[in-house]
Amino acid sequence: MSVSDIFQIGATALSAQKTALAITGENIANASTTGYSKQTVNMEAGSTILDNGIPVGSGVQVESISRVYNDFLQQQLMSANSSNGGYNTQQTQLQSVQQLFGTSSTSGLGADLNSFFNAWQDLANNPTGSAERQEVLTSAQTVVSDFQQLSSGLTQVQSNANQSLQGITSDINDQLQQIASLNAQISQTGSQQGGAANALLDSRDQLLQKLSGEVAITSRLNSNGTVTVTLPQGATLVDGNSAATFSLQADSANSGFYDVMLTPPNSTAPQDVTSILEGSGGNQGELGATLAVRDSLVEPFLNGLDELASNLATQVNNLQSTGYDLNGNTGTDFFTSPSGSATDTPGYSSQINLNITSGDQIAAAGKNDGTGDNTNALSIADLANASISIGGGTSTLDGFYNSLVAQSGTAVQSAQTGATQSQSSITQLQQMIGSASGVSLDEELTNLTTYQLAYQAAAKLITVGTEMMQSVLGLIT
Amino acid sequence: MRITENMTSAMVQSMLNQQQENINNLEQQASSGLRINEPSDDPASAQQVLNLQGLLAAANQYSTNIQTGTTWLSQTDSTMATMNNVLTSAKELATQMANSTYGASDRQNAAAQATQLRDEMISLGNNQAAGQYIFGGYAGSQPPFAADGTFSGTDDQVNIEVDQGSYVSINYPGGTLLRGGIPPGSSGTDVIGVLNNLITALTNNDVSGVSSTISGLDSSMSQLQAAQVDVGARENRLQNDANTLTSTQDYLTQAVSAKQDADYTQVLSDLSTQQTVYQATLAVSAKFSQLSLLDYMQ
Repeated sequence: MSVSDIFQIGATALSAQKTALAITGENIANASTTGYSKQTVNMEAGSTILDNGIPVGSGVQVESISRVYNDFLQQQLMSANSSNGGYNTQQTQLQSVQQLFGTSSTSGLGADLNSFFNAWQDLANNPTGSAERQEVLTSAQTVVSDFQQLSSGLTQVQSNANQSLQGITSDINDQLQQIASLNAQISQTGSQQGGAANALLDSRDQLLQKLSGEVAITSRLNSNGTVTVTLPQGATLVDGNSAATFSLQADSANSGFYDVMLTPPNSTAPQDVTSILEGSGGNQGELGATLAVRDSLVEPFLNGLDELASNLATQVNNLQSTGYDLNGNTGTDFFTSPSGSATDTPGYSSQINLNITSGDQIAAAGKNDGTGDNTNALSIADLANASISIGGGTSTLDGFYNSLVAQSGTAVQSAQTGATQSQSSITQLQQMIGSASGVSLDEELTNLTTYQLAYQAAAKLITVGTEMMQSVLGLIT
Repeated sequence: MRITENMTSAMVQSMLNQQQENINNLEQQASSGLRINEPSDDPASAQQVLNLQGLLAAANQYSTNIQTGTTWLSQTDSTMATMNNVLTSAKELATQMANSTYGASDRQNAAAQATQLRDEMISLGNNQAAGQYIFGGYAGSQPPFAADGTFSGTDDQVNIEVDQGSYVSINYPGGTLLRGGIPPGSSGTDVIGVLNNLITALTNNDVSGVSSTISGLDSSMSQLQAAQVDVGARENRLQNDANTLTSTQDYLTQAVSAKQDADYTQVLSDLSTQQTVYQATLAVSAKFSQLSLLDYMQ
């Protein structure tokens, strides 16, 4: 072994420790960068050479710079993101449904229904009173506008959800495109473990996490460093360097609402994935939840409202037709008559209106015997207490409405619970990922000291080598 | 577990968020005074509150109905008392004039008096409460008795609802009361008819005719008194219903309050606990984030 070998060993050591110091610096610099994974320098002893039959090392070399990464945790986080994205969307949309049903117990359709029936009681107290007759008409008008407003409000929630699909799908397309182009860069970089690739891998992970909040996905790492992204039900979203595209197509069979179409990577034939996205298990991420709000979550409230309006109109109309108005004529329909089945006409809550125009047409009398007859007014007032078969159960009209209000509350509550739970598992997973991949300043400072001392020692080695060389050269003179 | 600076700060942030949310919730309860501000706060209780509010609105309506009924019945009651006085005067007059010491001219004068009494009776039969003729039955908007005593009203009972499914009649049919049914005398004493007979007998100076009306006047009075007892009983019933209703209203108001009102003591003490916890978190995190290896390195 020659003295110059010492220089060689010292040089490898200086270079390796310098790299380690640079990586430590990089870690410290990115201590608070979101999504940054801690990098570590893996060194290995240089190859052994035989010196006079004795094996001697040839210094140190940097074998790789690796990224601390846990794929299992990342997958878990993606799934938590999907739940959270879904529940948050549901919660926001259902909040507006709940808002429509009224947060106060002294206003809204329920209270107005009570006032309507109380107006009939007042009419029974004074069947000829024009003020009492007008009051019945006015309170009925309020009930009618309540129905119309609620119905159009609920329809509005659905069409808002439909509109927001445009923003969501274009956002998703954008991210799929970026993931595909990162895939291309990563596979070109060749070494998946190089410093440059590490930064790309971190950005791709970030994108995958963001994407998973918008649509439920699964991802699979390939040996060439690219990632294949699919829907949980199988359709491919990103394959190598090409991405699928979501597009929207109005469906006349579904009130002109959009169908979500997916054009797979390297294909030009769009497929309808609406039912996959909103089906069981797919009802996740912002996209799935938005579709669910539009097509299934708001629907029961609209149906309930239609059923309530149809029942109210049918019952009042039936009694009205058995009575006599102030002029002794048989009562005509009080509300516009529901066209479909007597107890449920789809869409009726948006069409319900008053059929009579004057208070004189209210049939308060049960017999055509005198205007002081209040028996029919009493019968109609008693509809307030009548248990009818509605919404698959038996309830009063007011009680059924109250149960709709409670349902809107329960829907919001369960979305809230889901959002809170998924948020806490996100927090938990982020802590676990942080624990594995995050930068600890104390640790980096310790490493800094270690590498600095090693660098100083390597420099010392070269100094000693120089002195040795001089000693040898001194022998010549 | 390996703990990094980012983890500590994320943890502190999430805890502070959570605590601020709790404080915000409690402050909302304290300022609105309500435990349930939205149905989602407690859907089951929210539904119960709405149902109770519905019952309360109905109870308030029944209370209004009872007031209307009380007005009608007390008006009917006092009218009947006056009618009774009229009959008493008529009987005094008849008793007096049945005595043979009075002459034809006395009876002529008495006939004028009796006519007055009959007219008063008819006018009492056209008494009103709240714009409605109380003895007219369903035909309550026109005077039920013509000047000659012909009854044009109906004998129907006007009912009001005083509680769910429970009705009280608030009128007394004028035909039954003053004409003994439709046609007159078909089911009781025809009071107006008896008075008319008295007038005729007095005008004709028919002493035996006058004295024969006395028994008719007696049965008229007992018919009126029986009616008055009936009306009085219904007044009592309404009074009892009103009392029951008042306690129902109190109960419902309390039940609504118990379901939806915030418990101030609880809310305020929770609020102060939460604030203490919040301050503690702030203090601990401030101390903790000062700790670093940097402090010990040259």
